[in-house]
Amino acid sequence: MNCQEITDLMDGYLDGELDALTSQKIEQHLRDCCTCEEAFEGHTALAHAITQRAPYYKATSELRQRVRSSLREATGANAVDGGARASRAPISRPTAEPRWVVFERPWNWLALAAAIVLGAIIGASFLPRLQQSGSGQFLATQLIASHVRSLMATHLTDVASSDQHTVKPWLDTKLDFAAPVVDLSSEGFPLIGGRLDYLDNRPVAALVYGRRKHFINLFVWPAASDEAKVPKTITREGYQLLHWADSDFNYWVVSDVNLNDLQLFKQQFETRTARH
Amino acid sequence: MALALQAQHTFEPEDFELRRTIVKFAVLKKTEPAEAETAELASFEEAMLPHLDAAHNLARWLTRNEQDAQDVVQEAYLRAFRSFAGFRGSNGRAWLLTIVRNTSYTLLKKNRAVDLTTTFDEKIHTVGRESVSPATILQHAEDTELIRNAMEELPAEFREILSLRHQESLSYNEIGDILKIPIGTVMSRLARARGKLKEYLAARISQEK
Repeated sequence: MNCQEITDLMDGYLDGELDALTSQKIEQHLRDCCTCEEAFEGHTALAHAITQRAPYYKATSELRQRVRSSLREATGANAVDGGARASRAPISRPTAEPRWVVFERPWNWLALAAAIVLGAIIGASFLPRLQQSGSGQFLATQLIASHVRSLMATHLTDVASSDQHTVKPWLDTKLDFAAPVVDLSSEGFPLIGGRLDYLDNRPVAALVYGRRKHFINLFVWPAASDEAKVPKTITREGYQLLHWADSDFNYWVVSDVNLNDLQLFKQQFETRTARH
Repeated sequence: MALALQAQHTFEPEDFELRRTIVKFAVLKKTEPAEAETAELASFEEAMLPHLDAAHNLARWLTRNEQDAQDVVQEAYLRAFRSFAGFRGSNGRAWLLTIVRNTSYTLLKKNRAVDLTTTFDEKIHTVGRESVSPATILQHAEDTELIRNAMEELPAEFREILSLRHQESLSYNEIGDILKIPIGTVMSRLARARGKLKEYLAARISQEK
């Protein structure tokens, strides 16, 4: 490597972003070449000065309050106007809301009939959604309870093995579906074992993974075709729940590790199962 | 919903069970979205409020103005909250900083179009540059005010990359994601930013003499 190449790569070397081989070559060159060595020292000192001396502008507690209350305002306004998030616009709509006029007029029977029909339509369209939401909350409670029970009693696993080829066949014989089982040790989520559980009125597969000193329960059961496929997260009682679904299965992850870790887990799990 | 409720009250069904059910879910419907939103807000705040300092610091360096920085941060958090449902990644800080950066640029473009290119007066600052050695610069490296002023003079693209690298300690990969540039460009831009900063420091030191 000549001096020009070294100069070009010096910033990458300084930031520790180069591969080991290139770094080694640069190190060698810096030992041999005084000019480059000096330039590198100047560079390091400058980088150090920026890190140490450039002011880091922390947020004030007033700003924190301001951000939080503006978020609350945004959600509060949404709840009232049914999710239309236009309410944040500083200019309010100039026209009066026409729907209030309806109630000031004397009732006529045609309008009443129309209102009843409309009411029935709205009612019918909201009812299934409400039931779904209610059952979602109930399911979340069940999931947390199951996670907690698995940690409390000595019943974390029915089959304790880090070998996916032991856990999977065991589960297959106990269930009426073949749940995907992968070991994610290399990704930082070692498989600890599997167990049978009962959720949402059916037997499900529970896979247990470790994350540092924490446990992650992954519940798997076949997806019903009409179920929402959108991933969602719930935080409750200090537990994080993460849900997603693919064409075959419903997945619920429950743990006390942070949401970022769970998102990472989901990502790794999906990558690995896609490969199988 | 008020319309439907009104209609149900004037309706006299013979089946009282049915009527009770209708009224019940009409009331539930009113509270249900608020609860869902509260839960969503709680998980958003838990994930994103820890990065408030980082958000403010980047906004402050980009806008160079406390009031603007606060406005940017507030707007960025609202934007982030609106698209939080679509956030899949594991790096919340980088995701939030991307939004802060975009919001800052929107403001910079609106307020001061000139800021996007360098406003630095080369003529004044290049005087006597040659006479200041790297060693002299290093002697002044402890001078906080000097470093801050020199850094504030840099163009926005240099200010942001120095802040992301040296203050947030982000990797080239993360910086590339935020700035939407390849890793090679991250390295060359950092090199140019540091070179320019060194130059500005030298100019300021020679002026002080």
